Amino acid sequence: MPHVAHTGMTAHNVGPNTAGLALFAALALGCATAHAKCADITGSGNINIVGNAFPALQHISRAMEACNRRGLSVSFKMTPEARQETERAFGSGGASAFDAAVVSMGTYSVLRSKGQLQSMTDLVNKYRARYNIEERMLVKFNGAVMAIAFMQNAQSFFYRKDIFDRHGLSVPTTYAEMVATAAIIKAKEPNIEFPIAQTFAKGWDSGTEFANLMVSGGGRFFKQGSAEPSFNELHGEHAIETMKSMLPYMTPNALASNSDDVMNQFQQGKAAMGVLWASRAARMDDPAASKVVGKMAFAPAPAVTLDGKIATHLWWDGVVMPTNMAGDRETVFQVLMEALGEDTTRAGNDTAIWIRSVYQPTRFARGVLASINSGGPIWPTEPFFSLAHGEIGKILPEALTGRLTPKAALDVAARAYTRAATEQGFIKASVGTAAAASSP
Amino acid sequence: MKTKTFFQFIGPSLALMLVLMAAPLLLTGYLSVRNCSLQMELVKAQESTPFGTHEILSYQARLDADGKALRTCEFVGLDYYRKVLGLNDGAAQNAKTDKPQNEFFAALQFTLIYVFVTLPFVLGIGFLLALGVNNVTQNLKGVFISASLLPFIITPVVAALSIKWLFRDNGLVPYLLSHAGIQIFWMAEAWSARLLIIIYGIWHVVPFAFIVLYAGLQSVPQDSLEAATIDGASRLQKMRYVTLPHLMPLIVFLSLIHLMDAYRVFEPVMVLTQGAFTASVQYLTYFILLQENNPYKASAAAVLTLIGILILLIPLLVKTYREQRRGA
Repeated sequence: MPHVAHTGMTAHNVGPNTAGLALFAALALGCATAHAKCADITGSGNINIVGNAFPALQHISRAMEACNRRGLSVSFKMTPEARQETERAFGSGGASAFDAAVVSMGTYSVLRSKGQLQSMTDLVNKYRARYNIEERMLVKFNGAVMAIAFMQNAQSFFYRKDIFDRHGLSVPTTYAEMVATAAIIKAKEPNIEFPIAQTFAKGWDSGTEFANLMVSGGGRFFKQGSAEPSFNELHGEHAIETMKSMLPYMTPNALASNSDDVMNQFQQGKAAMGVLWASRAARMDDPAASKVVGKMAFAPAPAVTLDGKIATHLWWDGVVMPTNMAGDRETVFQVLMEALGEDTTRAGNDTAIWIRSVYQPTRFARGVLASINSGGPIWPTEPFFSLAHGEIGKILPEALTGRLTPKAALDVAARAYTRAATEQGFIKASVGTAAAASSP
Repeated sequence: MKTKTFFQFIGPSLALMLVLMAAPLLLTGYLSVRNCSLQMELVKAQESTPFGTHEILSYQARLDADGKALRTCEFVGLDYYRKVLGLNDGAAQNAKTDKPQNEFFAALQFTLIYVFVTLPFVLGIGFLLALGVNNVTQNLKGVFISASLLPFIITPVVAALSIKWLFRDNGLVPYLLSHAGIQIFWMAEAWSARLLIIIYGIWHVVPFAFIVLYAGLQSVPQDSLEAATIDGASRLQKMRYVTLPHLMPLIVFLSLIHLMDAYRVFEPVMVLTQGAFTASVQYLTYFILLQENNPYKASAAAVLTLIGILILLIPLLVKTYREQRRGA
């Protein structure tokens, strides 16, 4: 690939500010090195990779596509529907349309449980030295390497340090403290009508908040050793009650507030605190979009109870290869490892919380690193978890607006989940509830 | 015309219709009465991730000799239709206060509200715009037509996002309204969230009605209008008895297209409210496909959506059919 064309594209994506220029220079340098190293790749053919659309992946996809040369064509499909496309391709009867995918751990558990991922153990052993593959990057199932992780994420606590300092407030360590702090800010700061901003949007977002709070409170989604639901009990109800206690301090639009909206509320200086994805932290200091540059600080997410785990979940993102891949596995693996090399981490240091040890955390990563170090819970890996998560997210607004009691809402979600899990073979029809019994 | 020549003429379009329209429909119908699942078994395993090594209980698909997951497929009849419609639902036994409305019917209800509220506004505003542009001087027509068409040109998701940004917290509309002492949180209640999607629907589709009706206005017979003037008809009477009857086939056509289009409302629901208070039938199918990851159940929802649109279109289709017959 001509180097000039590549730098032009990078400049366009990064923007004109100084930090951007620095990143641009680093990217150009990084990619130039990657390009030179790609020459070591043996093998040829067309390689198709799929992944979600976010800044860190944009960075990685550029490193992958930098390996294009005569006889080797690498194309990266970046789409918000990556999860569906990956599941369809990896699960298809014929050859997969994609030779590899970048997935989050939720998708990984589904693919792994369905037997659709191939082990990369032999390839890791063969290429470990050349690509300096670190042990922490390896995701193993019974000793076999099934994925190679490159970044981690978690929600952390975002807060306005200037406001907290002004009123002598300390960073809350529980949700009860957070609500109490919100009451003080609401009373003392006339410009902040709604101190808390969190992603309570119907669906995936509020389902995730529920998961954080319930697990932090000590609840379990499923009965031990089974796919049968157990989220519709006291811990679940308590999680919803906690969410309800926050609502008076949140915008009435909260049930439609996703990560973009919450980020906007912080950037506009309309919110003082809340739990949000760590990957959004750097955007708080983007002078083009933020009125609170330098005023935000980041801490680990609060817990539900004083002695409980913090209410967040740890995530990783990594690369996987399907059992039904069409391309040459060694070539595909080498392209993946080129793109996940140390140069990529160095060049895009601030685009993600990287797993590689060359990563230099900045203040934006402080919250998530503290969450990881304090032993935050890992995002549930049960392959049927996404079914429960979806059903809970769908019914939560009914409970938050008071149309259903928390118990009734969770019972509705549990029934819907049981049906869906039965349809997909996770719960045997004879074992489940009355609703499950009517399933095929 | 010889039968062979006839088929040679219509062959290509018939083949395209079969491949692109009939086949997917039949396949959707086929999928909706089936269910396939993997044979899952509980296994104890050791899993290492960047966050440490843990002993986990996990499910694993049973594999055949070639290492492929074993699938069980079966014919399930109308089971998925019953589930989507909430028939034989365990929830039905609950007390009334504890039972949310069946989601398909709730989605259908909002979809119908959307369809029938937007339709008269789309036709009315489109017609007024067409009349207005028809009456401005030739020089300005180009400008007005281009400006009026803009909302229709913008990609629906982008258009919905721009409406969302106008109305969300700190958006321009709440900001301006706050100066008048009005505070509305547009995505906080059913009425305002629905109104927002309806406003989007009208804004986005009016240009289509406008351009079609504007074209129609160019062909209103001048001699009939002059005859009406000589007979002493007022402007309003000329509109009522000459212009509107002339435009009627176009109005039926617009209604037909808008009904089909509005019934599929999806982007604003997805972008503006993420389904809060406003799930539409199309959104429901998407949700089943995406969240439940169940193409079979989603197919049943899709077929039910299709049946809904057919019922909705019957009166207009009958009218069009009769007109075509008369024309022939």
